[in-house]
Amino acid sequence: MFDRIIKALLLIGTVISILVTVLIVLSVFSETVRFFTHVSPFSFFFGTEWSPQIAIRSDQAGSSGRFGAIPIFTGTAMIALIAMLVAIPLGLLAAIYLSVYASPAVRNGFKPVLEILAGIPTVVYGYFAIVAFSPILREAGGLIGLSIASESALVAGAVMGIMITPFVMSLSEDVISAVPKSLIYGSLAMGATPSETVYKIMVPAAMPGIIGAVLLGISRAIGETMIVVMAAGMSANLTANPLEAVTTATVQIVTLLTGDHEFDSPKTLAAFALGFTLLILTLLLNFIAQSFVKKYRERYV
Amino acid sequence: MFKIFKRRARIAIKRMQRNQNPFSFSPGKSPAQKWMLRRQRKERMFRRCGFGAILLSCVFLGALLWSVIGNGYTAFQRTEVLLTIDFSADVIGSDPETADYRLLMQNALRELFPEVTERREKFDLYALMSKSAYYKLREMILADPSLIGQRRNLWLPAASKVDMFMKRHAPDDDSALASYKLNAQQFIWIKKLVRDDRVRTVFNHIFFTGGDSQEPESAGIAGSFIGSLMSILVCIVVAFPLGVATAVYLEEFARKNWFTDLIEVNINNLAAVPSIIYGLLGLSVFINTLGMPRSSALVGGLTLALLILPVIVIASRNALRTVPRSIRFAAMAMGATPVQVALHHTVLYALPGIMTGFILSIARALGETSPLLMIGMVAFVTDIPRGITDPTTSLPVQIYLWANNPEAGFVENTAAAIIMLLAVLAAINVFAAWVRNRFEIKW
Repeated sequence: MFDRIIKALLLIGTVISILVTVLIVLSVFSETVRFFTHVSPFSFFFGTEWSPQIAIRSDQAGSSGRFGAIPIFTGTAMIALIAMLVAIPLGLLAAIYLSVYASPAVRNGFKPVLEILAGIPTVVYGYFAIVAFSPILREAGGLIGLSIASESALVAGAVMGIMITPFVMSLSEDVISAVPKSLIYGSLAMGATPSETVYKIMVPAAMPGIIGAVLLGISRAIGETMIVVMAAGMSANLTANPLEAVTTATVQIVTLLTGDHEFDSPKTLAAFALGFTLLILTLLLNFIAQSFVKKYRERYV
Repeated sequence: MFKIFKRRARIAIKRMQRNQNPFSFSPGKSPAQKWMLRRQRKERMFRRCGFGAILLSCVFLGALLWSVIGNGYTAFQRTEVLLTIDFSADVIGSDPETADYRLLMQNALRELFPEVTERREKFDLYALMSKSAYYKLREMILADPSLIGQRRNLWLPAASKVDMFMKRHAPDDDSALASYKLNAQQFIWIKKLVRDDRVRTVFNHIFFTGGDSQEPESAGIAGSFIGSLMSILVCIVVAFPLGVATAVYLEEFARKNWFTDLIEVNINNLAAVPSIIYGLLGLSVFINTLGMPRSSALVGGLTLALLILPVIVIASRNALRTVPRSIRFAAMAMGATPVQVALHHTVLYALPGIMTGFILSIARALGETSPLLMIGMVAFVTDIPRGITDPTTSLPVQIYLWANNPEAGFVENTAAAIIMLLAVLAAINVFAAWVRNRFEIKW
């Protein structure tokens, strides 16, 4: 009897945990469907103008608001790209150095630094971006004659890259150290230098795992909120210039949903549509990344 | 004479075209030797790049901590000015509730600087003191009406700009006045106050006991800290039993089939969902469907619980997996039922690992900001919350709110709040490491 109760309790716990997933998808999905009854999916995914402000009176000009999400997607992509341009070289090089060259003492000295970087809340990175990084970058840009907006894609992306670096590093260090020793020793025995072994043997062998790590990094970058809310812009700019302010999906969700709004307006529902797009995108990236890592594990482990 | 130079130059150019050192006339190295040298150079370059990457991360961490500590350390102190307040019955009048306490302080300031008569100058003079000083005087009178008619020497808080200036500069250093929005006349007054020993710097207890405020000198983190604490408490109560139950069920009782595989994939994916999506979930489920109070620690805690649930499940399952099968077999051989095997043995042995993972996920929940923005915990709340349904903020949200405020005093407060948050997180991590080292069983 006691056994049954315990088992039933455990099962209930499990079911609730599973329900959470269903709830997430359902709640976000149903709001998204409601949004698409106001705005057609085509104009959402392919429209180039985003101005969700809705006029108070219906007869005013532009009363319906415009929900073309292309500028938001390009902004998100640009910031994620800049972040990965920082995080991939830094994270990969650091992982390779730690697993190939570093003595145990050096490794034990530097690993905590990267763990601390990984454990710092993102709001702190946001503060760092606006208080320290942005002014420094603007000064430096001024010296070489570039005018950098105070809220630029470059600042947000670079700081986000620093945040993601430890993540990419620890993931790729795992896969690099899982490359069979026989391959490495074979290469070294043939007279290859350690660096030649790294980029001719270890990196190609670990490639699926590294790709997986990079994809997971990208998925973190596009879902990251606080850094971009604080350091990137609020208005949707369709631009390819990283020195200007751009906005991201997460920033728009935050701006649309903070403050008091009635819950049925397309403005608030648009946040759910963006959230749903984000959710699908990150799940997709995560799924692809996991299948890469799985393939890698099957090959060697 | 000239011809020799010309010849030398021609040879040098030729050597440069062949990629050789133009001025070295020693016999060349063999191609094989050059190839080796090139490879070794590449090797050194690569190694340096790797080290540079590590060093760069260290520099970033250093810069981050430097900017936070450099901006924030002064917030733990505050500047006070000694004023002789005349609680005259004329000014306070018949009703102490509605009296003009500003006048009390303005009179005291004018007594110190009788030469100030012009309206503009008076305004500048009064701007030296914090608005919170009036409230302090009001509280004093309301608490003890017998003060009316007496003169008292009181230490009252200075305005934020005076406070910042005093903490960061020597009192006779006028180079940075403009950046604190102080004018030359105010600087002279400050110097006089300092000469008269009427200025002191004390421990800023308001930062630790006060709620949010419009004035940086009277804003504190107590409200948001208690909000954080209450949300985390709710989060623990909900997430810990659920997470551990799920892990134990999946690891010990569930049969391996397509359904449990699906659940496994599901939970792994949940851990990768951006945190802001959990905020959307909290908003639409807890607030709009269940009608729970907006901005409350209850909704915040539940949302955070959903966020860390998959993390706890994964960590607990990993901990359960490390318990060797022999333990299970031994227990079963002694006639224990499956539930007894799980509760009396496996879960017990896995508990240190489960706890470590759990504590680390609490640290993550404590630093989380974006889901709380979604459920309205960004309101400007001056009161310290008394229950889990009161509107509140949390410490990271407070940091976000203050960081949006460009005033110098708030930049300082933000950095100080970050120092507190990082200190708490560091303490939690140290605790987790201690639990792991002290209790974990190595098989």
